[in-house]
Amino acid sequence: MFISFYLISLLIGFQRVKVYRLNDEGKWDDQGTGHVSVDYLERSEELGLFVYDEDDNETILLHRISSDDIYRKQEDTIISWRDPEYATELALSFQETSGCSYIWDHICNVQRNMHFNTLNNEPFHSVNSEPRELPAVELSTLPLILKTVVDTGFADQLRLTELILSDQEFFRKLMEVFRMCEDLENIDGLHMIFKIVKGIVLLNSPAIFERIFSDDFIVDIIGALEYDPELPHVQHHRKFLKEHVVFKEAIPIKDPVVLSKIHQTYRVGFLKDVVLARLLDEGIGANLNSIIHSNNAYVVSSLKDDSTFIQELFARLKSPTTTQESKKNLVYFLHEFCSLSKSLQMVQQLRLFRDLMNEGIFDVVTDVLQSQDKKLVLTGTDILILFLNQDPNLLRSYFVRQEGFALLGLLVKGMLTDFEENMHCQFLEILRNLLDSCTLSGSQRDTIIDIFFERHLGQLIEVITSSCPSENTAGESDKSIGPGRSAHCQSRTKPEILSNICELLCFCVLHHPYRIKCNFLLNNVFEKILLLTRRAERYLVVGAVRFVRTILSRHDEHLIKYVIRNNVLKPIIDAFVANGNRYNLLHSAVLELFEFIRKENLKALLKYIVDSFWDQLVKFEYLASIHSLKVKYEQCLDNGGTKDAATVVDLRRRNDERALEKEEERYFNEDSDEEDIASASVPRNQKGHQQPNLSNGVASSYSQLSPRSLVDYEDDEDDEDYKPPPRKQPETSEEDDGVLESLRLKRKLPSKDKEPELVKRQKLSKNSKSKDSVFLCSTLSQATLPSKKTSISFQTSGRIVEGRTGSCENNEGDVQSISRSSSDNSNTAGEDNHIEKEGEGSRNFSDCLHAKSDNIQLGGEDHPLVAPKSSPEMAVNGS
Amino acid sequence: MSSDLDRQIEQLKRCEPLKESEVKALCLKAMEILVEESNVQRVDAPVTICGDIHGQFYDMKELFKVGGDCPKTNYLFLGDFVDRGFYSVETFLLLLALKVRYPDRITLIRGNHESRQITQVYGFYDECLRKYGSVNVWRYCTDIFDYLSLSALIENKIFSVHGGLSPAISTLDQIRTIDRKQEVPHDGAMCDLLWSDPEDIVDGWGLSPRGAGFLFGGSVVTSFNHSNNIDYICRAHQLVMEGYKWMFNNQIVTVWSAPNYCYRCGNVAAILELDANLNKQFRVFEAAPQESRGTPAKKPAPDYFL
Repeated sequence: MFISFYLISLLIGFQRVKVYRLNDEGKWDDQGTGHVSVDYLERSEELGLFVYDEDDNETILLHRISSDDIYRKQEDTIISWRDPEYATELALSFQETSGCSYIWDHICNVQRNMHFNTLNNEPFHSVNSEPRELPAVELSTLPLILKTVVDTGFADQLRLTELILSDQEFFRKLMEVFRMCEDLENIDGLHMIFKIVKGIVLLNSPAIFERIFSDDFIVDIIGALEYDPELPHVQHHRKFLKEHVVFKEAIPIKDPVVLSKIHQTYRVGFLKDVVLARLLDEGIGANLNSIIHSNNAYVVSSLKDDSTFIQELFARLKSPTTTQESKKNLVYFLHEFCSLSKSLQMVQQLRLFRDLMNEGIFDVVTDVLQSQDKKLVLTGTDILILFLNQDPNLLRSYFVRQEGFALLGLLVKGMLTDFEENMHCQFLEILRNLLDSCTLSGSQRDTIIDIFFERHLGQLIEVITSSCPSENTAGESDKSIGPGRSAHCQSRTKPEILSNICELLCFCVLHHPYRIKCNFLLNNVFEKILLLTRRAERYLVVGAVRFVRTILSRHDEHLIKYVIRNNVLKPIIDAFVANGNRYNLLHSAVLELFEFIRKENLKALLKYIVDSFWDQLVKFEYLASIHSLKVKYEQCLDNGGTKDAATVVDLRRRNDERALEKEEERYFNEDSDEEDIASASVPRNQKGHQQPNLSNGVASSYSQLSPRSLVDYEDDEDDEDYKPPPRKQPETSEEDDGVLESLRLKRKLPSKDKEPELVKRQKLSKNSKSKDSVFLCSTLSQATLPSKKTSISFQTSGRIVEGRTGSCENNEGDVQSISRSSSDNSNTAGEDNHIEKEGEGSRNFSDCLHAKSDNIQLGGEDHPLVAPKSSPEMAVNGS
Repeated sequence: MSSDLDRQIEQLKRCEPLKESEVKALCLKAMEILVEESNVQRVDAPVTICGDIHGQFYDMKELFKVGGDCPKTNYLFLGDFVDRGFYSVETFLLLLALKVRYPDRITLIRGNHESRQITQVYGFYDECLRKYGSVNVWRYCTDIFDYLSLSALIENKIFSVHGGLSPAISTLDQIRTIDRKQEVPHDGAMCDLLWSDPEDIVDGWGLSPRGAGFLFGGSVVTSFNHSNNIDYICRAHQLVMEGYKWMFNNQIVTVWSAPNYCYRCGNVAAILELDANLNKQFRVFEAAPQESRGTPAKKPAPDYFL
């Protein structure tokens, strides 16, 4: 055995690697460069990794391969693990990816083999009895075959695989014996066959999979796997496949190869998810996924290249003579077709989607969305989501055309429609995707935003006003919050719909502040949205609070002044007071709002709140936040002196005098001026070096009011309970120029919008050392931080994340879409560029290693609490 | 209504997921209940504290066997209900259904895996997609995650949280001003509570290798416990082979309730039972035997076009 391994190593060429070891300071020490091989440890049947120095042939590394899942493969060139003997992290960095995957496969095989042996509770005794041939398959030889399959040592697995493959009749005979046993109800035989098949599956050989998943055998293989001796009952997989599973053909598919692959794909998926679910390890799962994946790619690309097929599909979809029922099936087919196209390469998928768009898929969806069948409507929206995930601008470009108006209208309507039992949260998601300023560009930007704000914003607000108790209810007492209070509410709109509207509005505030601003200031939208505070559902009240909080986070003086002048906070304070001493989400949300105002030093608001509501708030002074608010207020007064009050009065009067006039309205409408407004209207809290560079005197005089109204205190932060500046601090400063402002907008948005990827990147770039930018790229390429927009919904992509499995096409898809969705802030985070550099150059060679200690930990890992040395079993990271 | 819910609970106990429409209704009801909870939710003793479950449904059933059924036993779950195991959907929905049915007998607080971002990576997202054919169930569940409380305080004496402490939080009252209804942020107090870990060798605060939260040492725990007048902190978040582990002179304990984590770590699990006088008893249990597990209930869609 030793010899054979040695030879393999020689033949393939020694694997050139660098060995790294993590030192106490968290840095990677280079232990030297050498050649790696897998060999038996001396006087042992255990296998180990050896690295011999390339210069002097000294042993740099000797590592017994562990059965525990401690190994990680990264970047295609790195294998790392926490070594129980060295009690630290070790890593091999390969010169070539092929060397890395070669050794990686060996490690996996060794592990599988060890797992195998412990599973069967049999000693590892037969390592030296290399199987020379398989006995002829008969009922009587089953025990021998089973022994051969189960007892095979790791090294012999390749040999066994070869033997099985070289015997063309093996599976045919085995399946004959299986059917015979089944006829005779020979349970022992069936159990043995189960174990044999299971053992063969665990060999994880693609060549064997190809054979057993062929039309000839796959059903019998599934049958054999029904007889798991460990389960109390025989499974009925074939029955399910035969009696419950229906293959539907919306349009007949003529190509027999395509048909065969379609069936195979379903069955392999069934094997993976149901039949073998409990037996699979990641390696096998990945191989099965890659079969499914490549089948899907084959099927989709065959069909898409068949121009008559696509034409017939759309002809039928559009034909008035097609029955409702078959139209439904066509739509379901279309959805599945689009969904499986994720298996194509990015470029191909994009091309396919363009073609589908040109064929009129959005017209079809527009049609579908008007259907009475809610399930069909949801399928239509699912198709749109697939397009949005691929590239939102495809769908947006449709809205530039007149026909698109109807679709947008239907989407808004869908969001406002009660789908009763069905979930319809995807409408909100679609609208958010469409309106996402981070991916908007060019003419589409203006078109879609114009249409949305002109035609639909009012519609959304209208739903709120018509669903909330009106203003004239009998005073304060009626407004006290409590379940059942507003049972008399006029409209039947479901609270979840209101909640979705509120969320969309918050989103718009963040993404399109200027549109929102002119709309809001003109139409009393604030007051209307705050009607939500009258709803009985507390989460809607909290939604309204959050809306105001989002507005204030804009630091926009006009908005703040509007809030003050129109006493916008009153319903919120009322709700807070009525909530009393209940420490619930409403309580916390309002306190957070106060904290924000205090910490951001929004003096005008401070003054407004305390002046207007202290009578109501005083009974809550025992709360630190309320108390601090008052203290801050008093500080402002002390420092502001007498002129302060006068200015505030002045300020209010002036506001009243000139509400919002046409001129300003136009001004706000001009996108090109966005930045200027931003710089003018952002309060210079703390900094005080404002310099409005505006040509528009109106806005300028407006903004100049602020610094006069209350004096700046350089040392405001010295409050007794002032906490260290939150790590978010940058958002409150450096807003002076427009570029930064819009940048900040882009960077901050995601956190509010719960779009994970951008924020995580920020955090990483902030917290890590400079070299960690490479770590970022490595992380991203493994999709540790998938974005909602990426192809994550494709089920195999979940596996990629673990960094050791998943097919590369998939992986690539994720990288691309992540880098795409994050390209907006490439100017803030240069790490995007690194993605291209992957796997090249010596710098990367070691840089990635520096990065890796963080890398494995990212995202949800549950780290062992026990000291590293205590047990090798601890390291369960990753999977 | 409650009979409907009882039926659903029975169904979930058999590890059969609910219909989409039922999930929707359940989540909306849960939202109304959870919105009333505090960021530091008060819990009365006696109570049984449970750590990470991670979708190991059948092991959670073992947990209930050992700890007693809800509502007979009052439970506090410290988060990480989903991801990694095969049955995140059933696990979370069962806990949520129990919460809606017996709001005062079970408290669920949020773990770092109760997050959109993390669940897209570690299994819950894929599981929803596989079991329902769409991710709407995932959307509803993750919306509910945003409402989960952040921590609990048992009889004013035991502070319970998923991860640990935060440098931004020195008093429990400071947790009050977090608007928790949001995706778990990447820094700040809320993030730290869900992500941090105690660490022997750290003096004070250290960077966490997880990329979020902090490591905190014994002195931090001592001063936190002292200034908040609590006996000890109870948290989860880290695998411990023995199911539970005390640190820093019994000032903080980790409770881990997913036996044989990821179906292969070989660890035992534990729950911490506190009686009315806060006397502690750890109940250690092992993974459910293979026979009781049944086959994974992932029935694929019964029809296919491609």
